[in-house]
Amino acid sequence: MAGILDVPKPRINCDMLLQHVNKPVCFLGRVEKVHPTGKTFTVSDGEGKTATVELNEPLDEELSGIVEVIGMVSNKGAIMATTYNILREDRGVPFDLELYNEALKVIHDFPQHYPFEVAASG
Amino acid sequence: MKKLPAKSSALSLAVVYVLLLMVLNSRVFGLIIPKNTCTCLCDKRHFAMWNQSYSQSSGGITGHKAVTSKKSTLQILPCTVSQLLSASEVSSDTFAICDWELNQVSVVGVIREFSPCTANIRYSVDDMTGPPLNVKQWVTSEDCAQITFVSPGTYVKVTGSLHNFHGQRSLLAMNIRFIEDLNELTSHMLEVVQAHMQIFGKMVDVNMNTTVASLSGRWADGHPKGILANGLSTTQKQVLHVIRKFSLRDIGISFDDLKLQLYNLRMTDVRSSLAFLKNEGHIFNTIDEHHFKSTEHE
Repeated sequence: MAGILDVPKPRINCDMLLQHVNKPVCFLGRVEKVHPTGKTFTVSDGEGKTATVELNEPLDEELSGIVEVIGMVSNKGAIMATTYNILREDRGVPFDLELYNEALKVIHDFPQHYPFEVAASG
Repeated sequence: MKKLPAKSSALSLAVVYVLLLMVLNSRVFGLIIPKNTCTCLCDKRHFAMWNQSYSQSSGGITGHKAVTSKKSTLQILPCTVSQLLSASEVSSDTFAICDWELNQVSVVGVIREFSPCTANIRYSVDDMTGPPLNVKQWVTSEDCAQITFVSPGTYVKVTGSLHNFHGQRSLLAMNIRFIEDLNELTSHMLEVVQAHMQIFGKMVDVNMNTTVASLSGRWADGHPKGILANGLSTTQKQVLHVIRKFSLRDIGISFDDLKLQLYNLRMTDVRSSLAFLKNEGHIFNTIDEHHFKSTEHE
């Protein structure tokens, strides 16, 4: 199957969620609250806005810090996660989520220089 | 007698223009390539190439294209996976983005798969811009001992060159490094945009529109024309812009007025920009050291 990992997954923040309904996205943010059921949690972006992440399976590990979620955006703007990746900060400098958010805006301002698509001729 | 000086001044103008271009470019590439490796080399090449092309074309500027295409072999271009997969194949094992021949490129992404073989290690690296890119690293038996197990989900920075292995595009890695400071992900994203804007900014975008207008339009409101965009930071450009605006007055602009104009900037940044701009000869003090004027007006 051509999974979600084999297609472009635009990096977005909360403001861009609704422009990506029913599309695969990559959301990098800080874990805020994990629901007691372990099936959903919230993440905040560099602007302090939060998004809800829904999982197929309940979490089997403790979740905190910076996480990179890949999934589809639901009609309500939640991220239906296919996979997530905890990015450890402890080895080095703390991750500057605000700066990442600024970079996000730059790459979306210049899609011709940071394309989230592969040309057919390629 | 009268014609000769005119001609030579035209010549020197052309030379000055190309020198400016070179300064501009070497600054750009100073960012892209490790400083110690080839900035000097680049410049020397430039000179040699310039002299050569200059003697061929008296127009002077026409020689510039030849220079840039040659130079591409000396730099590492930060890229996205999508750009590498979309690059056109010029000949076997030679790829180009908009006629810009790729040599060494760098990619930052997450390792999805990792399979050590006898003579090489294969990775698939995903930077979210497309399907994961195949990366191949040749190893000797000595290296093998040093290979630490790479777990999927780790961010790496790969430098290497794009190749075609049995019809499949792969990046032949010169170097693979784990990213310990995740902020490198952010900086790589910005480097990609910056580098591609420098090189391809004047070319056509996906819709075949020339992007010059839109790009320069974006900058035109904030920044005066005629500034070497690459030599100055955004803050320095903003400071210089304001000073230029007020340079028609004899005394220029006072530090307090400058603060008012640039209320959104940090005071330390304004001060360090002023020091830099003064040092570089862009601005000077007028009636006292708290008043500034630019050496060039808008």
